[in-house]
Amino acid sequence: MNRKMRVLHRTMGAVIAIFVLLLAVTGVMLNHTSDFELDKRYLTWDWLLSHYGVGTVEPDVVYLLDQSAISQFGSQVFIDASPVVNSQTAILGGVVIDNLMVLATESELLLFTHEGEFIEKMSASAGVPPLIQNIGLFHGEPVLQTRNGMWRSDFLLDQWEAISLQGVGWSQPEPMPDNVEKALAEYFHGRGISIERFVLDLHNGRILGNVGVWFIDIIAGLLIVISLTGIWMWLRRVS
Amino acid sequence: MARLSQQYRVKQSLRLLGIALLMIAFSVSARGVYQSDEAFLNEAFNNEVPRSKVVWNKGELRQAISTILGHDYAGLRIRYWKDNNRSSWILEEIGKEKPITFGVIISDGKVEQVKVLAFRESRGDEIRHPAFTRQFEQAELESNQLNRQVDGISGATMSVRAMTVVVTLALYLAESISTE
Repeated sequence: MNRKMRVLHRTMGAVIAIFVLLLAVTGVMLNHTSDFELDKRYLTWDWLLSHYGVGTVEPDVVYLLDQSAISQFGSQVFIDASPVVNSQTAILGGVVIDNLMVLATESELLLFTHEGEFIEKMSASAGVPPLIQNIGLFHGEPVLQTRNGMWRSDFLLDQWEAISLQGVGWSQPEPMPDNVEKALAEYFHGRGISIERFVLDLHNGRILGNVGVWFIDIIAGLLIVISLTGIWMWLRRVS
Repeated sequence: MARLSQQYRVKQSLRLLGIALLMIAFSVSARGVYQSDEAFLNEAFNNEVPRSKVVWNKGELRQAISTILGHDYAGLRIRYWKDNNRSSWILEEIGKEKPITFGVIISDGKVEQVKVLAFRESRGDEIRHPAFTRQFEQAELESNQLNRQVDGISGATMSVRAMTVVVTLALYLAESISTE
């Protein structure tokens, strides 16, 4: 009986040793979260962010204008990773005219400075043709394609003439640049996963979801068994 | 007796359902575009709308605008339409959560007309009724404030505040361009 108990004790000890180490190390770290500033330091490993579901952002549309990425998430418009204005309608394109960035929606033009500061929204009341489908440039001048035809203006954008042109450079959606995507992910999801959160999830097994929690429960059960077998053998030896 | 009671309960439930649907219908009806910007301008200038101009929101003007609104104005320039001593302004201000679009006509430094062009909140649209907007007519600016007290509307406090600051802002802006 004692021999069987010793074999069981050894085998289980070998199996759970690595997890005891993990629990001990993470436990000590969690005991000293403030001392190590684990709640103020962040991990930004791609696989970890992806594992926590905070690694990617999915904009409705992206346009690249003059070194800046214009993106829209719902009604919020971003220039790079800064929210700049709300637009209830979808952005259909954008161009750069002189020092202006001009975005077009179905019913409005949204104007920004070169630095990304919002200037104003111009709609039909300011002379902009309605039912816009796209915006482009023709020899540096803005051109709108609308459901009622093509229109051309100058940098003031408040007077448009009906026109028919070939060779307009129409605005087209682009993929999001990696650096902006990373900055936007940080904007939406914070600076990453705090070390405290990561260590805590390692400690309680939640890093692997519900399966991890059950696994740690099993390890805890084995620890109880190994403690009991240890006590049993010690008592036998003493008696 | 039990059957009568059951019928009563069914009728009562239907009545409550009807009241609930009516309340939803009223809350939805508060939202809407009551007049397009172009229609407002056509009406203001008798279908001869002058070319728009802009005021740049910077320097001292920017500070004064922020003081009137209680926050920074979102945008570097504000568009207006002017014919002689009449100017027309289409301005937005948040009521409680969403922007309300106002059309304001200023004539000789006094409010000629104020209208709600679009209302996006679920309640508080009583401010669009002429009985309320009439209070602003002939109002003037005194030390960057309206020269009269505006009566509030119960349940529409934020919308009333939005209209008051927008009218004040329109008067201030009209004054700032009067030297042009």
